[in-house]
Amino acid sequence: MPLWTLRGLRRGVVTTRYPAKPDPSAQLLPTPPAFRPDVLTRSLADRLVAVCPSRALTRDGDALVFDVGACTACGRCRAEAPEATAASGEFELAATAREHLIKRIPLGGRPA
Amino acid sequence: MTSQDGTRPAVQETSEELRRTVTRMFGRSLHIRTLDTGSCASCEQEIRLLAAPHYDLHRLGFFFTPAPRHADLLMVTGPMVRAFETAAHKTYDAMPDPKVVVATGACALGGVYQPDPFTHGGVGSTFPVDVWIPGCPPSPLALLQGLLVAVGRLAEKVKDLDFALNGTPR
Repeated sequence: MPLWTLRGLRRGVVTTRYPAKPDPSAQLLPTPPAFRPDVLTRSLADRLVAVCPSRALTRDGDALVFDVGACTACGRCRAEAPEATAASGEFELAATAREHLIKRIPLGGRPA
Repeated sequence: MTSQDGTRPAVQETSEELRRTVTRMFGRSLHIRTLDTGSCASCEQEIRLLAAPHYDLHRLGFFFTPAPRHADLLMVTGPMVRAFETAAHKTYDAMPDPKVVVATGACALGGVYQPDPFTHGGVGSTFPVDVWIPGCPPSPLALLQGLLVAVGRLAEKVKDLDFALNGTPR
């Protein structure tokens, strides 16, 4: 038996078990943000819209419209408002329709 | 009796049956042709990683093919620059039916570039897209999930996410 077979058996299998089991490396991936509706105000939403480089964020009245498909997970909105945003941790984002990726986040925060 | 979109239930049922048959056929043997319509090549970098030992997409029955004539699935990256449109249509037309189109990455989904004289700003206006994979670039795991969604082996997850947090962010 070639030596590399024994070496392979000793070191274990490197291939991920995804999708049968979650892959631990998925936690290291940059992921699109999630927003806190109870903190978001119109002015904060406008600041986030201004800071987004890929036009993933727009404001429609009292809702922040987040286009997950346009998001590049750059983290600028998280740097702008860490109190209202966090990484969603979601990487399984494939959609069968483009409109499934457009999310409306209500603005529930009281203006300062 | 007709439904909202004007097709009869029998026709809908037949088309749904056909769709199920096709995805079942593709489920364990799917050949992928990648198409770069002006991307920055990070998406290609991640797509190439799918064949690396860690992800090993061949274990799932997915294969890359250099010829569109042998391909079942077209994986399109980039914002579809207008100079590439003819070649893109030729690639799509050369593929045998039934075919699946997967838009890959934020450019292809219309996030990064606006439509202008040089680019369409996304592939949605050029091809009938079946699955959209967000990300800049989408990680190989995200691509795997997208491919498995395209052949019906995984359910779409993002439809039910609201991207709203309830508590204080970490």
